[in-house]
Amino acid sequence: MTTIEFRKDLFADERVDDLKQIGKPTVRQDILGHVTGRSPYYDDHLFDGLLHMRCVRSPHHHARIRSIDTSAAERMPGVRRIVMPSDVPHNINTLLSLINFGRDDEPLLSHTKVSYRGEPVCAVIADTERQARAAIAAVRVDWEVLPHVLDVEEALEPDAPVVNEEYPNNTFDYHERYDHQKLRFGDIGAGFAQADRVIEGRYQMSPIEQAPLETCGAIAAPETNDRFVCYTSTQALFFSLGTTAKLLDIASSRLHFVGGTVGGGFGGKVDSIVEPMATLGAVLTGRPVKFMWDRPEEMQVGAPRGGERWYIKDGVMNDGRIVARSFTGFFDCGAYTRLSSYAIIKATGHLPGPYTIPNVASNVYCVYTNRTPATAMRGFGITGVDFAIESHMDKVAEAVGMDPVELRILNAYRDGDMKAHRRLAKNTALIECCQVAADKAGWRIGPQFAAASSLSDGGGDRALIGETVTDQEGRIGERRQRRIPFAPSERGTGRIAAGTAGEAVSAARPQRDDMQPEPERIGHKVSAADPERPAQPAAPPAPAAPPPQAPQPAQATPPPVYEPQAPAEPPAPQSPPPAQPEPYRPSEPFQRGVKRPGASRFISGTRRR
Amino acid sequence: MLSVETFETIEEAAGAVGERSRFMAGGTLLMVAVNYGNQGFDRIVRTSDRRLGEISNAGDRVHIGAGVTMAKVAASRDLAFLAPAARSVGGPAIRNRATVGGNLFAPHPYGDFATALLALDATVHWADGREEPIETVLQNRGQSIGLAAAVSVPRPQADEFRFLKVARVKPKGASVMALAAWLPKSAGRLENTRIAFGAMGATAARVKACEAALNGTNLDERGIEPALQAATEGLSPQDDALASGWYRREVAPIHLKRLLIPERRL
Repeated sequence: MTTIEFRKDLFADERVDDLKQIGKPTVRQDILGHVTGRSPYYDDHLFDGLLHMRCVRSPHHHARIRSIDTSAAERMPGVRRIVMPSDVPHNINTLLSLINFGRDDEPLLSHTKVSYRGEPVCAVIADTERQARAAIAAVRVDWEVLPHVLDVEEALEPDAPVVNEEYPNNTFDYHERYDHQKLRFGDIGAGFAQADRVIEGRYQMSPIEQAPLETCGAIAAPETNDRFVCYTSTQALFFSLGTTAKLLDIASSRLHFVGGTVGGGFGGKVDSIVEPMATLGAVLTGRPVKFMWDRPEEMQVGAPRGGERWYIKDGVMNDGRIVARSFTGFFDCGAYTRLSSYAIIKATGHLPGPYTIPNVASNVYCVYTNRTPATAMRGFGITGVDFAIESHMDKVAEAVGMDPVELRILNAYRDGDMKAHRRLAKNTALIECCQVAADKAGWRIGPQFAAASSLSDGGGDRALIGETVTDQEGRIGERRQRRIPFAPSERGTGRIAAGTAGEAVSAARPQRDDMQPEPERIGHKVSAADPERPAQPAAPPAPAAPPPQAPQPAQATPPPVYEPQAPAEPPAPQSPPPAQPEPYRPSEPFQRGVKRPGASRFISGTRRR
Repeated sequence: MLSVETFETIEEAAGAVGERSRFMAGGTLLMVAVNYGNQGFDRIVRTSDRRLGEISNAGDRVHIGAGVTMAKVAASRDLAFLAPAARSVGGPAIRNRATVGGNLFAPHPYGDFATALLALDATVHWADGREEPIETVLQNRGQSIGLAAAVSVPRPQADEFRFLKVARVKPKGASVMALAAWLPKSAGRLENTRIAFGAMGATAARVKACEAALNGTNLDERGIEPALQAATEGLSPQDDALASGWYRREVAPIHLKRLLIPERRL
């Protein structure tokens, strides 16, 4: 029995229904273990002589560490080793360094200061968990409490305390230029001037803990051939392995990681904190070491979905058409970057929601505060702003006296429409979703809305890209000098000619040429954007957009490697454009593969498993 | 190190309980503390005394050993009036371990069964032979050390005793509040009423103003109105993850009304 109703009547001619898997019921490969209770958790793996590791954590939101006194803890029964920040070979990392995005900003164990409550400063490895807990309680840390900031907008005040020394302006640096991610499409100033009414709203979402059944943890043990095995709760096995290799400055070929399929993750097990800790413990003691968060730790230091705050301003005609939409978004990424910088790219790519609006602008800030670092959680980057957009659509519907479903159908994007990131919409289905949902709920909509289709009335004028107004506000560090508005400027200083289409930006190049996929040898279409590759025929020809002339200025392109290039601007009145800084490059390239063959400096004489 | 000591009799176990030790009855709360590394105790004291698990009739009262589990209460014919309260505690696995004695000392928001015992004016029998009304036991909880061996409760007439638990997650959620009422009647009017609230303060507590307002009245909408006004007098409900103190105070009269005059749900 299934409760799913397949509406194959919709878009029937776009689908070939002879697939073997999609649309067919299938048995999950791990379901037998789950329903019989046999799927192993990482903690089900037993080791002789297992040691237990626990962290000393900050009781303060923000404090400098004057000194740490572990002498009493060292003398306590069962204590095998105190792990200090200096024991971490490469004690600085950022998760996305594995794809060269962002700068290293987070230590595994903090040595100079802590920036959120619960940040670890050292760890104890003991024979039992109870002994480890007792030893933790005996560690004395001399804290110098610093002023802290917990609100995203307060963190952007000129005199706000510096949360993260790597990003002293309390914002992630986007494209080496701005303290926020910009999106500019058309002219919102003209849009608002043209609109019959302007409707504003403020929306906020609190952090959400993923609350997995199994708390984050890992067991690492020395293995044969100078390797270490690590059983972990991770949901990103190779991410965890790469992060461990970097933090421990150890060849990834010496790490043997084993994951699992139970315990729940929902995004909260990507951050790869427990695996380096457990592996470091095994390296330092030569014994199997378990590092496992208890429930209070999972709640306090386990990275949640970050809090978000959105301001939306719509210019609306009396008939319900939205002609301009401006977003100001704040992601509370906590004390360290983790994945929030990337969530903002996702959010910006999603704007202005599934609607065709000719003038759109957004400024989205990745803000550092003295709160628990935020990370991934189901649809992160999208969920919060979608909540804001759809709440605001209801508000607009009420303001103009329209049915909320009809307002959505009226403004919905259709096949062939131009989206704010300068790509044509295809396979759109919002109208059909609204129609089916209204029908199922017994919600009456007008006949012209019930007859609307994503397949018709799109394109044409709706595929045009208007002249886009740009500005240079919010350069990195500017907000430390003076207050400047957070919202996108409605009177820009630059112009990008109408019809300027976007340009695909390819992600990081493969490391070796022979890793480049050959389009003719794989079964699906690949992007035509790669300059090394013979151009593919462009997908659907743009009905009205002329071919791109100056292939640059879509400012909301997904960036990993993004070479900033000044758009063709008339002389800006205020200041000459500053010299472009070199894009960030790591000082030494991240090492993969065998680095130091031969014996490990860590392995002791203990019996290996 | 954590040690576990098991004694033959309740009296011996009572003598062994002291500083940095805990008595283990069902272990539903104590084992959580052990698993979460609570450093507040080093010794766990238990007893294998069978008297702890007995239910017996003594005149017009029922004597319940402190080690009787919620599952056993729910299954007992003599304690049918307490079965709804016993069934409201946890899920089947918890009820199979959780004991009457442990519930007397369960911290907020737990202690639903103790709320029912408080409304029934139960007597606590300590291992050293003392007897004490449950009300003062709850009031002085945490200030003295002793081992409860049993409780005894009077047997109410049919329909005189009512219990209601308000939880957000059904059927196993912890209490937003628990309500228990003993409503004896004399010549058709209420007399010697006892109303107790659980999860509306640190421990279960009676609301004497509410009881006084009910005495001498009929159980009808007009009659209970003054009692509803006084429903939370003297209570100081706390904020927690389940509900704010303000919310608890606001909704308490509504739940009390549902307890006193059961609505006919269509």
